[in-house]
This record gives sequence, C-alpha cells and structure tokens, in this order.
Amino acid sequence: MGFEKFGRFGYVSQTKINPLLSYLEKGQIAATRCKKCGRTYFPPRAECLDDRQSAIEWVVLDGKGSLITFTKVFFAPPAFQPETPYLLGLAELSNGFRVFAPVSPSVDEKQLKPGKELNLKVARGSRDNLFYWLE
Amino acid sequence: MGRVGIVGVGHSKFGKRNDASLRELAFEAYGAALDDADMDSSNIDSSVICSATHYDKQRSPAGVVAEYLGLNPQPTFNVEAACASSAVGLRTAWALVSSRLHDVMTVVGVQKMTELSSEEIQELMGRAGDVMWESPFGTTMPAYYAMYATAHMARFGTTEEQMALVPVKNRKYGSKNPNAMFQKPITAEEVLKSRPVASPLKLFDCCANADGAACLIIANAEKARKLTDRPVWVAGLGLASSPMSLAGRKGPMTSFEVTKNAAMSAYQMARVSPNDIDVAEVHDSFSITEILNYEDLRFAKPGGGTRLLEKGETELGGKIPVNIDGGLISKGHPVGATGASQLFALTKQLRGEAGSTQVDGAKIGLAQNIGGIGMYSAVTILKA
Ligand SMILES: CC(C)(COP(=O)(O)OP(=O)(O)OC[C@H]1O[C@@H](n2cnc3c(N)ncnc32)[C@H](O)[C@@H]1OP(=O)(O)O)[C@@H](O)C(=O)NCCC(=O)NCCS
Ligand SMILES: [Zn+2]
Repeated sequence: MGFEKFGRFGYVSQTKINPLLSYLEKGQIAATRCKKCGRTYFPPRAECLDDRQSAIEWVVLDGKGSLITFTKVFFAPPAFQPETPYLLGLAELSNGFRVFAPVSPSVDEKQLKPGKELNLKVARGSRDNLFYWLE
Repeated sequence: MGRVGIVGVGHSKFGKRNDASLRELAFEAYGAALDDADMDSSNIDSSVICSATHYDKQRSPAGVVAEYLGLNPQPTFNVEAACASSAVGLRTAWALVSSRLHDVMTVVGVQKMTELSSEEIQELMGRAGDVMWESPFGTTMPAYYAMYATAHMARFGTTEEQMALVPVKNRKYGSKNPNAMFQKPITAEEVLKSRPVASPLKLFDCCANADGAACLIIANAEKARKLTDRPVWVAGLGLASSPMSLAGRKGPMTSFEVTKNAAMSAYQMARVSPNDIDVAEVHDSFSITEILNYEDLRFAKPGGGTRLLEKGETELGGKIPVNIDGGLISKGHPVGATGASQLFALTKQLRGEAGSTQVDGAKIGLAQNIGGIGMYSAVTILKA
C-alpha cells in the first residue's frame, strides 16, 4: 500500500513524502525542513520552494494547536458515510502551521468553538489507515 | 486593447433536465443567443466551451459541443475553473477578441450533473479541495463553506437567522425567473428547520446541483456596433487565485482574499468603485457565501454583510440589488454554466430587458463567480 494509507480514505498513492507514514506509525507527526535555509513545511513537501536543489530533512512537531474553525458534516461522500456525522476542523499549531484535520469524536462538541486548544494526535483507522486528528 | 461587447445572450432552463443531454443543453442556450443577436453560426470565429468536465459523461466536451452547435472547423477548446469556468471562459475569449486574433466568439457554459447522485457529486466536489491533505478526511463543498460560516459567526456574531435571509430573498426573486430550478418562495422558518448538511448550513442554505447551459456571444467594438444597437461592454475583468488548501490560507477565515484581489483588479480596470454598481450577481453557492461576498466586494464593511441584508439594501429598490434573478440558490448551480448565467442576467438588466425585476436605469453591473472553495474568483464588470 502506498500513500493512500493516509487519511480516512486516501486518494493519492504515489508521492515523495511517503516517509510521513513511518512517523505516523511511530505516533509522531512530522514536517520537512530545508537543509539549506531551514524553512519548514507542513503539510510536508519534498522540495524547498526557495532552494530547489537542496535536500530536506524530517522534523517532529509537538502538535499543540488552537482551533480556527470547524463544521459537523451530515451529508458525506459515499466512502465516508459509515462515520457520518463527523467533525472537520482547521487549527493553527503552536509553530504557526495550519492543519486541516478531523476533530476526534472524543471532544465534547458543546465545548467546541474557534479558539479552543486542541492537540494534533495520530489516529488509526479500521483498514490499517493512518492519519491525524484534533483532540 | 480593443473594446469587447456582448452582442447576444442565451439561457436554457436550469434544473433536473432528464429530458436533455449535454450537447442539447448547450444548443438551447447557444440557439437562444443566436436568436438574441439575430445572427447565424457563420459569423462565429471561435468557441470556448466552459465546463467542469468531471461531472459530464462526455470527456473533452468542447469537441462534441462545437460539432453539435455547427461550429466546425473554427477553433474550439475547453475552459475549466470549477464553478467559475464560464467567467474564466469570458476572460479567455475577451483576450482573443481584444488581441484581434478573432472578431466574434461564443462562450458556452454548460453542465450535465444530475446523471450522478448528490453523494457522487459531493465526492467529486470534495476532491476540488486538496486531494492529498484534505479530501481524505471527507470534505464536501458545503463543509468547506460551513467552516467559513462558523468562523464568521464566532467573529462577528452572525446568526443562522441572518443567514436565512439570503435564501428567503433569492427564492423570492427566483419565483420570477422562468429558467430557475426552484420557483417557489420559502420562509425563514423553512430554511431554519431544513435538515442539516454541514453545520451551520442546512438544506435551504445550499444551492442545488443542476443541469443547464448559458451562452454569450462577444465581438470587437466595430463588429459589435454592426451586429447590434444595444451592445453591453465588458468594462472590467478581475481574476485571482488563493491556495486551494484551507490550511495554506492566512487570516481568520471570515473572508475570501481571492475575491478581494479579483475585485480590486476589476474595479481598477473598469474605473469604478463599489458605490457605482447598480446591480450585482454574486456567487451565492451557500447563504454565507453571499454575505462574505458583500464584504469582499466592499458593498459592506467586514462583518457588515448581514446589516446590508437586514436593511433590504440588496433587494430590488435597495441601494444595490443582488441576485435578483434568484441566484444560484434558486436557479440551481450547473457548475460550468453559472458564470455565464450571471452575465446573462446582467446583460438583460443593462439593456433594460429584465421585466418585473428590472433595476431602474441600471448602467453598471458586477458579476462575481467563485471557483470551488475559493482557489479562483472572477469579478466581471459590464457597462451599458
Ligand atoms: C444539499 C445537497 C447535498 C442535498 O442533496 P440530497 O440530499 O441528495 O437531495 P436530493 O438530490 O436527494 O433531493 C431531494 C429533494 O430536495 C431538493 N433539493 C436538493 N438540494 C436542494 C437544495 N440545495 N435546495 C433546495 N432543494 C434541494 C430536490 O430538488 C429534491 O426535491 P424533490 O424531492 O421535490 O425532487 C445537494 O443539494 C448539494 O450537494 N448541494 C450543494 C452543491 C454544491 O456544493 N455546489 C458547489 C458549490 S461551490
Ligand atoms: Zn530552502
């Protein structure tokens, strides 16, 4: 299985940032960093925008974040219907990166509002799929 | 740069058109535009077919549409920019005409969606978000716009009751538009009680998937004046882009930077300001989208969109009537046809042919068309 292992239901199987999956396996969330200029990318990307010839390295993120916005999805595409309704969120991590991720069903919905502190944690699906969510 | 005028417009009936195929829908709109311009296909130098082609069974639809419209051997090609396809199609054709490569062109927006179920369509629309980092979590277009709604509510105190004013207004005018999918007004209570789609958006906060086509025929100034005594001029064209991923965007998620940028270009090119606009068509894919658009187009200050609605300023007779053809919420949203449908409505207004929804003395019109979740936004300004 390639990168389609990422997410609740992944679409893209081939990419240069496959190593993300091994970090997720270890329970870690990782970004990429340019070895030349130090610019860090999350979601990870395989090349630095500024230094196209430079190599990248992987760095682990702490996952602390705060919610910017969210929604509860009732009408879902077929592949996602088994988990409907589900929560989707956009959060800003402590190092300034933004992440789009599901909000874990363990979060009390009544407490959910923009500004709420949440942590980005690794989650595992029933088909051996891997992803992260906010909890 | 030569001036470009719209010399003919046509519109099919929008809705669940299980009586018609893609090419037949295109012909309805194109034929109506030829009638409107009182010309035949021999005058058309080239065609642009605008469609988000993943919903159509036909691949590369420009081929079959040009054939069915009788537009061979003239050049033809497809333009795709999700929901903004035909606004971008006009921009493309404008460049070809104003550069003098062609004199007269047709821009056909067409979409056949309802051979797919809403679930299948939302699966495809969800993939018009970032397919690596967002679609794998079950995104849909309503979900994306709902996230903007949640943020706007938290920042400005916007309520679901205020959002409901958008479908109530638009469905009222939709009842006067024979091409609209929904021709029955609805009440705020019906909106508020409708089933949830993606909180806080409910069924009647959403536009519906539809089949349909709309068509424009444009010409350079010299030809335009020969072909018609009532050309409508393309005065401003703004188009911008934003990161497709929500995570790649900045700010509090209560406005679309992409629309602000497109509006700036269009106002500048047309040498007008928001105050000069007599009538507008904005992309009301969802109730919240219309409110954000008021603010991004500078019809209202940030957070002031709901006030404009409550004061009736965007009704017929108000300061700036918006979507008085019913908007996407009444007409349905056949993705590739929507931009041309907006420009059809403006052209009618600026010619004084809008009947019971005519804005008295309308001289300057603005259409704003968002593609997908705002990776594209087009603002077009027309002058009588
Ligand atoms: C909201 C939505 C998910 C509802 O789809 P659905 O639950 O499958 O609804 P159905 O197609 O089964 O239709 C059921 C009924 O509701 C009506 N209906 C569907 N969507 C509607 C809408 N948005 N507004 C009003 N009525 C609607 C249908 O006409 C049908 O009525 P009928 O029983 O009288 O024929 C669908 O309309 C949708 O996806 N809208 C958003 C489209 C979109 O995102 N476009 C891109 C925007 S950028
Ligand atoms: Zn670098």
